[in-house]
Formats: sequence, C-alpha cells, structure tokens
Amino acid sequence: MPAPKTTLNPLRRPDGSATHSQNGYTIIGAVNGPIEVQRRDEIPDEAAIEVNVRPATGVGSPKERRIEQVLTTLLRNIILTHDYPRTLIQLTLQILSTPSTHSTLPSASSLPVLPALINTAYATLLAGSIRLSTTLAAVLVAVPKRFGKGEAVIVDPDPEEGGSELEAVARKGGLHVFAFDGRGEAVLAESEGDFGIEDWEEACEAARGVCCGLQDESPDVMEVEGAKRSMVRGLRELVKGEVEKEGRWRGEG
Amino acid sequence: MSEPTILLPGDTIPPTLLPSPASTKPLTLGPGLRHIPPSTITAALSGPLHTDPRKNALWIENNGGRYIPVAGDLVICSMHHSSVDAYHCVITPYTAPATLPQLAFEGASKKTRPVLAPGALVYARISVAGKHMEPELECVHPGTGKAEGLGPLKGGMVWDVSLGMARRLLLPPGKMREVGGLVLLEALAEKVRFEVAVGRNGRVWVEGGSVGVTLAVGRAVIETDEGGLGVEEQRRLVARVLRGM
Amino acid sequence: MPREAELSLNAREFILQALRENVRLDGRAFDDLRELQLSFGDEYGVADVRLGKTRVLVRISVEVTTPFPDRKFDGIFTISTEFSPMASPAFEVGRPTEAETLLSRLLEKAIRRSSALDTEGLCIIAGLKCFALRADVHVLDHDGGLVDAACIALVAALRHFRRPDVSVEGEKVTVYSIREREPVPLSLLHHPLCVTFSYFNGGEIALVDANLAEEQVSEAEVVVTMNRHGEVCQVAKYGGLPIDALALLNCTNVALAKVQMLDKVIQQRLEEDAKRRDKGGLMAELSAENARANAAIPG
Repeated sequence: MPAPKTTLNPLRRPDGSATHSQNGYTIIGAVNGPIEVQRRDEIPDEAAIEVNVRPATGVGSPKERRIEQVLTTLLRNIILTHDYPRTLIQLTLQILSTPSTHSTLPSASSLPVLPALINTAYATLLAGSIRLSTTLAAVLVAVPKRFGKGEAVIVDPDPEEGGSELEAVARKGGLHVFAFDGRGEAVLAESEGDFGIEDWEEACEAARGVCCGLQDESPDVMEVEGAKRSMVRGLRELVKGEVEKEGRWRGEG
Repeated sequence: MSEPTILLPGDTIPPTLLPSPASTKPLTLGPGLRHIPPSTITAALSGPLHTDPRKNALWIENNGGRYIPVAGDLVICSMHHSSVDAYHCVITPYTAPATLPQLAFEGASKKTRPVLAPGALVYARISVAGKHMEPELECVHPGTGKAEGLGPLKGGMVWDVSLGMARRLLLPPGKMREVGGLVLLEALAEKVRFEVAVGRNGRVWVEGGSVGVTLAVGRAVIETDEGGLGVEEQRRLVARVLRGM
Repeated sequence: MPREAELSLNAREFILQALRENVRLDGRAFDDLRELQLSFGDEYGVADVRLGKTRVLVRISVEVTTPFPDRKFDGIFTISTEFSPMASPAFEVGRPTEAETLLSRLLEKAIRRSSALDTEGLCIIAGLKCFALRADVHVLDHDGGLVDAACIALVAALRHFRRPDVSVEGEKVTVYSIREREPVPLSLLHHPLCVTFSYFNGGEIALVDANLAEEQVSEAEVVVTMNRHGEVCQVAKYGGLPIDALALLNCTNVALAKVQMLDKVIQQRLEEDAKRRDKGGLMAELSAENARANAAIPG
C-alpha cells in the first residue's frame, strides 16, 4: 500500500489548499473563509459550511451531492463554527485522478473515494487556518466475505494492486469507511455490502489502529522501527515540515 | 533556542508548558488557542506553541489563512461605497465591508472631511472588532486627535504579502532585525527614498516617487517573502536591486 | 455569491503609468508569455498547465454511445468548462459567469469549429455506434490568461489521449481495455492554440498574456487562434475599444511566433512523456499503431 501523500498550499489564490492521494485517488482541495455569506444561507450564531465535490469527469451527479452532504455534516462538528458567525466557509474538492479500477467498481459506491475526500478536506482546513476542535483521519476497510475463518480485513486497500480483490470484496463482502477524531472516537461510519456485526467491529478496530495509532503514542516517542505511522502522526510531521519551510529566513540569523 | 512543540487542533496544552503558573498576572491566550472551562487549554490551529513568561502569555504561530480583524491592528483597505456618514471599506476580498466614519480623520468636520472615491486605499486602525459584528475603522488617534500616519494613501502601489511577513514588517524598528530577521527596508532606505505602509491584513503599500523605485521596492518585499530570504540573502538582493536602478 | 474583488484605484493607476513607461509589474516584456509548465498524468489524456500562477487541468474521457441521428458518420465531442469556487469565490456552481461563457465559446470555436479533431474518426458503425469524447476543463488557480492556458491544456490533453481499440464484426462491437490492446491516439488534423492580446491607453499599448491584474485594467482584448503553419482559425475581439486593422495584422504575426514556440514545448513534453512510459520495447508496438492510424487518415 503506498502511503497517503499530502501537500499543503499548492495553490496561490485560495486561503488554504491541499492535495492528497489515497487509495489511488488524487484530490485537490481549496478553502475560502470566513467570507461573506448569502442572505439565504446566513446562520446568526455560526458559520455556514459549503462543500463542493467535483468529479474528475463530467458534472456533479446525485452521488456527489450525497457525498457533499456527508462531508458537510462531518465538518460542521470539526470546525469551530461558532467562532465565525454569519460567515461562509467554502470548501471545494476537485477529484484529479481516479484509479483505473474506478469504473469497474459498482457505480453507486461512493465509499472508495470518501476517505481521500475527508483527509483532503481536513488538510485543506488546516492549511487555511480555520479554527478546528480536533484532528480527523479517515480510512477505507474491506472485509472479504468469510466462507471460512482466517481471512483478514484489508485496511486502506490499493485499488491498483489489489484491484480485482477490492472489486470482489465490493461485490461480495463489506466495504467500510471510518473517520476518527483526535481522541480516537469514531465520528463517521459508512458501510455497504454484506457483513455481520463482528466483521464491522473488527473493521472498526483495524481502522482505529491505522488512523490514531496506539493509545499512548505521544509526539515525543521515537518511531519504532517497522511500525507503521498512524495518520495523525503523519499529519503532525506534515505541519512540522510546513513550519520549517515558512521559517527558512530564520536559518541564517 | 529549544524547538517549540508543534500542535495540532484538539491537542491539550500540558500544564508544564504554561509560562509561569505562579504569576500574578492573568494568563493570556493568544491566537490559535481555546479555553474549555474550567481549566483545559486546547489548540484550535496547527503550528508551533510560543510562550512569553514575562507577559504570562501563550499563542500558536500560524501564517496561513485569511486575515481576521482584531481591534488595534493597522490595515490597508480599499473604499467600497459610502453612505450618509460613513465609508465602507474592504479589508480582505469577499468579506463584508468595515465601517469607517467620515469624521474619523484628523481634523475632520462636516465640511473638511476627506473625499474618497470607490477603490481608494486607506491606511486605518481597527477600532472595534468582534466576531458578531462588522469591524469599525478609524484614521485618527482617539486620544490625541492626530492622524499619526493614518489616512488616505495617495499614489503608489499595493502588494499582497503573507500574514507572517506583514507581522514581521510591523515589528518596531529595533526588533525588526533581531526578531523578524528583516534588514531589507533599512538597507534599501540607506540609498533610495520611499514611503511604505504595512497592513496587518497582508498588504504593503509603497510610494517611491517614480515607477522604477516603487516597483523595485515592492518586488524586493515580495521576493523576500516568497523566497523566505535570510538576512544575508536580503543584503545581496538589495545590492542587486540598487545596481538595477 | 460575493462579487469579484476589484483592483484598488492606486493599483489601476500604477499599472497604467508603468505600462506608459514600458514596464510590466512582473518585469516581462510586452510580448512575453509567462513561464509555462506542462505535465501529464499517469492516465492518458490528462494535462496540467501552469501559466505563471494560473493553473488549468484538462481531462479527456471517452465512452461508447449512439451518434446523433442527423450526424450518422460523426462521433461526439464536447468541451465542458464549468468553473468552481476553487478558482475564485465569485464563481458559483451552476451559475455561469461572463468569463465562463466566454471561455467556453472561444474554446468551442478554437478547437471544435476549426475541425482540429477529426470526429469522423470517432465513428465506429455509422448511425449505430460511436465514441463520445469529453474534455473537462478544470480551472484550479486563476491569475488571468484562462483562454490561453485552457487551450494549451486542451490541445496537449487531446494529443496525449489514447482511446481504447475496438474491433467490429457485423454489428457486434468489442471494446478492448488498455491491458488487452494498445490504445489508439486520436486523429488530430491540426493543433490550434490561442494567444490573447490586451489593449491599454486607448489602444496604444498591447500586451501578450496579461495576468489578472492587467486584465482588470485592460480596455479591449483580442484573441487570435492559429496553428503552427500560420493558419488563422479565429480572431475574437471584445471590449469597447476599436482596434486598427494593421494592429490586428501585427497580432497575427506575433501570435504565430508564440504558437510555434508553444507547439514546440507541447511536442517536447509529449516526447518526454512517451519515453517515460516506454518500458521494455512497448514503443515499437506503439509506433506501428501510429503508422496504421496515420495511414488511415491522409493529411
């Protein structure tokens, strides 16, 4: 599995932007805000949040509208909207590339792209210095249909390599997307396909491990060799890199 | 200098990092922090945590995003439209205009107030700001009645810079080099004459009397900001700019 | 929807004064283009163009469909230029701005009506099956010169794109995936590119490739579309200022030099990309494919 890759502020004009690749999808996000809100969308004591998801080809369909709704609800709980009353926070997510298996997956499925969208949205908000209550990390989990025991869940499957595998799971097993906040609590769980409650629980735990890492993972702990970085840890390093880049001028003084 | 802790939104500030628990001064929370009663302090933005034990203050340094108006800040804004007794000025694009009373200029009366056309630049101080209201501006010190450099900006050119650069340029002259790592304007001013105004909202206005000087100074500021130039690099840049003039 | 941010009076006046003194704010000569960066995606038909701070991404996609009943021998080609708030908060989804309408019309004329793409080559069985080609133009960062940048991206993407190979047996059409058969490049008859001229100071000053600030001050614009052989496909003028016929003639001369230079850059990038993709002698097969495709369409 190629590790998710994120860049902050690739664009010049928006207040914040980010590109992120995960599960074979590459997405660019841009945020503008807080800006003036239209009268009809104005909320007296908090910010209105607008999410636009734009597919790589074609114009938006009901599928994108649904994803937008899921994202708006999720982000409303992450953004400190009460700090920006009567304004608009406008987020645009443009899908730049999709894995070649994208078209062979069941067309109604919006799950494979969802983790990449969520993580792009979060990185974009960070880059745009929008006040947030916590961190956010999302991951895709595929649970193959168990004919016998011993088949493991696949966390963050790579559609390019295990394309047919993911496809098979999408048809026969269950696909799940989980998102966790900074305290390791699930803030989003979307599932589809054929699965039981044990499958779901196992998938959730596996996802939590990837997103948040071990419970006592503190920023000061040295990286254990061989151990995978949690996504929150990755985010921290990303911000650190950005801070160093911004503070280059200090180097000489 | 010890490396500052990098925070992410939601991180709790451990009490050990607070500047001086025994201080008599009240603890001041700067940008990027959030107090959750009774005594939890968490980060709301990402970036390095800075503390000032003398002022018993802590804040997160963050250069990204849009400028949020804060009372007392100096900004460069452009006039949008005027109403009966106030001008409405835009501080950052796509946000609701701030109010600048027509009498909030030095020596202004009903008959002597300055006339501003839409699009005119004004250097102003934010007098009132809060999240629930449109900010208010003034071009006169409320105590002394003097302009102190504020007012309409005539001629020149305005450039957009990062918020961090604007903050560094606004440091008092003594600290600009030490804390902000900037020698650019000082070095340029030794050889050429120009006027400069810096807005906390990430705008720099330069008037050098001629297109050449204004442009050279403006471009040098932009280059320093975008390239993250250090002190020595700035000196080299200045030498190059002066040779070009 | 917030209104587009306007330039301050000081900036307008300064830009004009500088132009009168023969100076552009970014130090370019009057007939200089901004730095062009062109890159291709991993998939065929994705071109990412950066012209200064402007960034446009074009993606070509294809599907098999039935041709229009009145154009039985033609495939379908559509260009979609929907702006998103990514480029500017003043762009609202589903409500085209003037800039968007203008861009889509100019591209339509530059590429579709100039017959750059041989749509007959997209036909599979007359009246029954054809390819529907679609170009999505995504404006990611907007600092002026959208028409020029979008046109470069569109032409580069079309030249880079490969459609899946098909075979026909009677009325049965088989479409082969990329893994089964090497995909086929499109047949492009020529490669038109746009060059925009902006006029200032009553038409005395003409700039090539104005950035957003310069565009906001300009009084008139002329878009010249031509290919590297100097064949003019379109001359569009908007803005109130009258432009002298001789000045227009001069535009076409300048445009030709720019188009030839741009065409060379696209060609070079395409070759670099082909080399990058060429792993273990696939190139030989591809060139055979090319020869066949080219032989089928004379010219």
